[in-house]
Amino acid sequence: MIRFSIDSSSSVPVFQQVIQAIKLEILSGRLKNGDQLPPIRELAKILKLNPNTVAKAYYTLEEEGFIESKRGSGNWVNTKNMKLDSFRRGMLEDEFRLFLDRAFSLGARLEDLKNLMERYAANE
Amino acid sequence: MNENVLEVRNLKVRFGKKVALGDIHVQFRKGESVVIAGSNGAGKSTLLRCLAGVIHPDKGQILYAKDVPREKIAFISDGLSLFENMTLKQGLDFHLRTFHIQDPDESFFQQLKFSLNQRIKSLSVGERTLYHLSLLLSQKPAVLLIDEIIHAVDPYLREKFLEAVIEAIDKYGTTMITINHTFSEIQNIPERVLIMEGGRFILDEKSEQLKAKIKKVVTDADIPSGIPFVFKKEAAFGKEYFIYPFQDDFRRKYPHDFQSLELGEIIKALIGGEYAKKRMS
Repeated sequence: MIRFSIDSSSSVPVFQQVIQAIKLEILSGRLKNGDQLPPIRELAKILKLNPNTVAKAYYTLEEEGFIESKRGSGNWVNTKNMKLDSFRRGMLEDEFRLFLDRAFSLGARLEDLKNLMERYAANE
Repeated sequence: MNENVLEVRNLKVRFGKKVALGDIHVQFRKGESVVIAGSNGAGKSTLLRCLAGVIHPDKGQILYAKDVPREKIAFISDGLSLFENMTLKQGLDFHLRTFHIQDPDESFFQQLKFSLNQRIKSLSVGERTLYHLSLLLSQKPAVLLIDEIIHAVDPYLREKFLEAVIEAIDKYGTTMITINHTFSEIQNIPERVLIMEGGRFILDEKSEQLKAKIKKVVTDADIPSGIPFVFKKEAAFGKEYFIYPFQDDFRRKYPHDFQSLELGEIIKALIGGEYAKKRMS
């Protein structure tokens, strides 16, 4: 069920990458409310991470209300009280901002981006 | 989490006239994973041996926390000295007796699925390393000291080794102190990097902060004098500069592409920088 990998050379801290990846699994619906997350030790072994890093990611996800930790039995997805749509929009905006940064650093103009979008939309 | 498991004060070691360690001060916290890197002869192995109690320092103190008795300190040296003629079972029993381990965790030993009646000398270097690790993990170590040995282990067994270490960190809150410079698979484990040179620490940083502070620039021309760098290398397409300390406003001030690096590359650049300094002097 783990569909993500860690980019060791990224400037995004590893625990943030874990958080982002699990959020993506939840927002895309691949992980559903009530699903169990892999135990910290197992995820650490699969991704070759320090268990403290995974624990930190899980703890942050719990603080933000994405998952619920039940002592002794593991971590569960908990999106009952969440506005998933607004999170999804927020994440899309973040990704879009990153894309724009790169596009502008390549020297693209707004006009180019509009054309590109229209072309791709027409092909879909 | 902020509790120290080990503190080193004023540590000095000489071999004849050569100063191996010159006044080392360092603290290690419970559960943290640390990598010590540096060029050959920088003093890494000597320090690790002092921590393991194999070498007695000429001066200074090595203070373990009160709840860390001798048998909770595990050391894998690059020598891997084991009694060759014992069978694996005899070796395990001997280890448990010698260290007075009352309540051993033999789960990793069993996971290895080695035949217990074969002699230790019949194991390959890689297998022997894993066997040694399984003996040490049976004592539920509070501190795990690993010398450069994993370089001699093949990729499959290295993965097994790493998974066992990850399990120990999680199960027992083990503090891991490892010596290494060529590592790709373990690079997401260390939370802190120490670099040694000439028997001293020249750098002590959290891994995440170090990654934010060092960047690579590839360019044909020289870089502007406002950008500090630790190491320069001729590459296929121009020169590679390893920028340190990097500041975020460099991205606004200069047109260069500041690339992030993996921890292994960062350590290589910092060690390379030390060699370059030595050649200059």
